Amino acid sequence: MAIQMGKQGKIKIRRIPGLDAIEEIVGRSVEMGRPVFDIVGMGVFTDIYATQTIAGLSILSYVSTLCARLGAKLYAPQASVDVLPVAAEIVSESYRMEGKLEELDVEEQLPYLSGTQFAWASGIIGMAARLRPAGNIMIGPFWAESMMFAETFDRIGAMQIGGTARMYQIPFFAALCDYVLIGEEMFAAGAYVSGDPQQIGSIAAQDWYKLAALALGILGALLATAGVTIIGDLLIM
Amino acid sequence: MDYRRDIPLAITFLVGIIAVLDYYTTFESVTNTFTVIKNWGVVLQAFALGLGAVNLFRVHGKRVSERTREDWMFSGWLLLMLVLFVVVGLGTGQYDASTQYAWIYNALYMPLGATMYSSLAFYMAYGSYKVLRARNFEAALLFITAVLVIIGNTPIFPATFPVFFNIREWIFGPIVSGAYRGIRIGVGIGAVVLGIKTLVGLETGYLGRW
Repeated sequence: MAIQMGKQGKIKIRRIPGLDAIEEIVGRSVEMGRPVFDIVGMGVFTDIYATQTIAGLSILSYVSTLCARLGAKLYAPQASVDVLPVAAEIVSESYRMEGKLEELDVEEQLPYLSGTQFAWASGIIGMAARLRPAGNIMIGPFWAESMMFAETFDRIGAMQIGGTARMYQIPFFAALCDYVLIGEEMFAAGAYVSGDPQQIGSIAAQDWYKLAALALGILGALLATAGVTIIGDLLIM
Repeated sequence: MDYRRDIPLAITFLVGIIAVLDYYTTFESVTNTFTVIKNWGVVLQAFALGLGAVNLFRVHGKRVSERTREDWMFSGWLLLMLVLFVVVGLGTGQYDASTQYAWIYNALYMPLGATMYSSLAFYMAYGSYKVLRARNFEAALLFITAVLVIIGNTPIFPATFPVFFNIREWIFGPIVSGAYRGIRIGVGIGAVVLGIKTLVGLETGYLGRW
């Protein structure tokens, strides 16, 4: 229903400053003549964080298109052997669509650093220190390395957007990034940047589910307070 | 028909549906099919690992031979370590169970990992310094809350004044848990919606078409 309403242009969604700022970051990088980093995390396609990796890759697609169009150099260091070829294909496709495939060097711009957490982290920290990017976009699943990245890029003066659905890492991004995508905002990122009314309808559906969850939560609290445990019993079933 | 887009979408749909059926049903044929798919995944990952090693040699070997980048020596070090681990692992015939392999792993790799992990303390100190400044009302609230949590987590204070423990528990309970659960519900719904969109081919960003 939401998708149909989206198709008819009946759905408007709120602005997400963190996603609006991506273009600003790429533009800033072009002006400063410095690169942009897009880090999708060290997730894989076969674990419970796969949806976060997919959300990160959607943003990588958008960022690489902007970089190709505006002439900013993109770096997207990789940590997963199964995500690397997909990321490389996404970035190549973006440059191809913009007619600038010859400007892309996949081996240099999408290096595989390591599948081990802190080896990967130190590789990115080293790259950041040497290349001094003007912007850094981190959207995907992150673990303890999130703080290292956020601090390093902050120290070298990069404008940052951080987004993850991993609860323990959100405060680290909130502390040091210029913009933060909290929780489910990152899942809406691909649809949001596409501007496609059909996809925007799906974001509205996401919000409707949340309202339903909220209503059920309130109802459950009221019923539990009154000693009626029907919702709790249903959930246990 | 756009084959570059539609074939991956069809594969995603097919595999996704089988995975969902495997989780929610007990049909033996579905379970067997999904086991085969999972095995394919393992084989593909093994190939990717092998290709990755070849790719590392190609990329870093080129950097070492050209020596035009300022970080070429790191490429040399990486190749040296890669060869060392493989030679020691295969040379002893016991792979990662050999004493020599365990030694270079424990003496080289582990301390490096532990060092990086330990350095998190300094990163956190930097982050705390940057955030915990009472520049406005919200920042002042955050600062006060953080100080109370730190005091509550430092054993000497709750041991002397138990009220600090109660304050910490109250912050973690009604305040943090409420916000945490709200975000968790949103994350859960967001992940499910993205999963459904990926399954039915509405989400195409991962194919390079946003």
